[in-house]
Amino acid sequence: MKALLICPAERPDVRALAEFVPLANLPLLGKSLIEYWLEDLVVRRVKHVFVLVADRFDEVRALVGDGTRWGLRAEVLLESSELSPDEFRVKYRASDEPDWLPSPDDIVVMDHLPGLPQQPLFASYAAWFAALLERMSRASTPDRIGLREIRPGVWMGLHARVSPGAELRAPCWLGENAYVGPDAVIGPRTILEDRVFVEGGAEIADSIVGPETFVGALTRIKDSLAWGNRLVNWRTNSCMEVPDRFLLGALNKPHYSPELLGRLSRLASFLASAVKRSTGPVKIHNLNHGLSPLLRPREELYSRAIQVTLSERTGTAPSNEQI
Amino acid sequence: MKIQCQEDKLTVSEVVTLGAANSTTFQEKVRAAMPASLNAVEIDLSQTNMVDSCGLGALLALYKAARVHNSKVTFRLLNPNPLVRQLFELTQMYRFFEIVKH
Repeated sequence: MKALLICPAERPDVRALAEFVPLANLPLLGKSLIEYWLEDLVVRRVKHVFVLVADRFDEVRALVGDGTRWGLRAEVLLESSELSPDEFRVKYRASDEPDWLPSPDDIVVMDHLPGLPQQPLFASYAAWFAALLERMSRASTPDRIGLREIRPGVWMGLHARVSPGAELRAPCWLGENAYVGPDAVIGPRTILEDRVFVEGGAEIADSIVGPETFVGALTRIKDSLAWGNRLVNWRTNSCMEVPDRFLLGALNKPHYSPELLGRLSRLASFLASAVKRSTGPVKIHNLNHGLSPLLRPREELYSRAIQVTLSERTGTAPSNEQI
Repeated sequence: MKIQCQEDKLTVSEVVTLGAANSTTFQEKVRAAMPASLNAVEIDLSQTNMVDSCGLGALLALYKAARVHNSKVTFRLLNPNPLVRQLFELTQMYRFFEIVKH
């Protein structure tokens, strides 16, 4: 059987989602959108799939390959623009060949998850967030090696680590190799994609953090989609680039330089003047090791890390003496 | 940048950026303009299109300096645009400042 998948090209309402990868490659709970579709086609006994790409062809082809990973034959084809299913049907299925999936499943635009056409993914950032949240409870399938529900509504992927004192509030999802630092609060309604690093003391709720994203200590992410240094509030559609990587940044970019070390020293003075959230003093330690094993491959780019240790949070306004 | 001092109230406006390049100067100028009998500080961020950690540090330093004058001083940030407000929410600055949107 044959089928054709149309990769969404431009979706103005969710422009920020396409900044890092083409929409077809977007991760949804550890798996890309196109992977969900290819798996669905395999279940429907499709053996030959055409994948039409109008945006970043090489990246989609790199992910899909020739389809052998799914036991089917995949042809990734470059198109100059995204046409409608009917237009592609005329172009690719000119004659009434019998060995195609029946219409309309024969040619599909991947702007929703398989079986959920009533839940468009790219209508808005809020729609994207809602779709992933809804999917969370059903994403644990037998092929997800290492994924386990450690307690109702809390899923942890392979090699995900949670430090002592961190709090996971259901529902929440931690992807593969995700790290949550001490006293961080994750959830509710939060997804940390693969290889997210959350420093101690951070708070993330009603949000999705994209893969290989660093979330700094003292930050609070709420109602947002955070990926690299891009922060989108899905309620207001406000979209910003966070200027300081120690707050929010991409882990997969080699960006640690003397300039950043200079900023780290400014971070120390910024944090030292910050009103602490506890009754104890703010302590600044100089450490001679990297941030974590997750970042170890990048340790050579650091000469030292500055860590601020905060004692318990009181949440009360400090006296003048405490500042 | 415009700094106005009316008796016990200090108002700062027309701040376009608050970043590494100008945060020290901003802090020094505002601090120098603080009167002895300071009761309120208002910083109008309606024209501010960029704030980074250095700018936040300058605001916190000014907050601290203002409280040296008067431990009960009100310190308000007025009309930050959505992007600046996002940064304030990310860094939990609302814990220290009163953020006002007219």
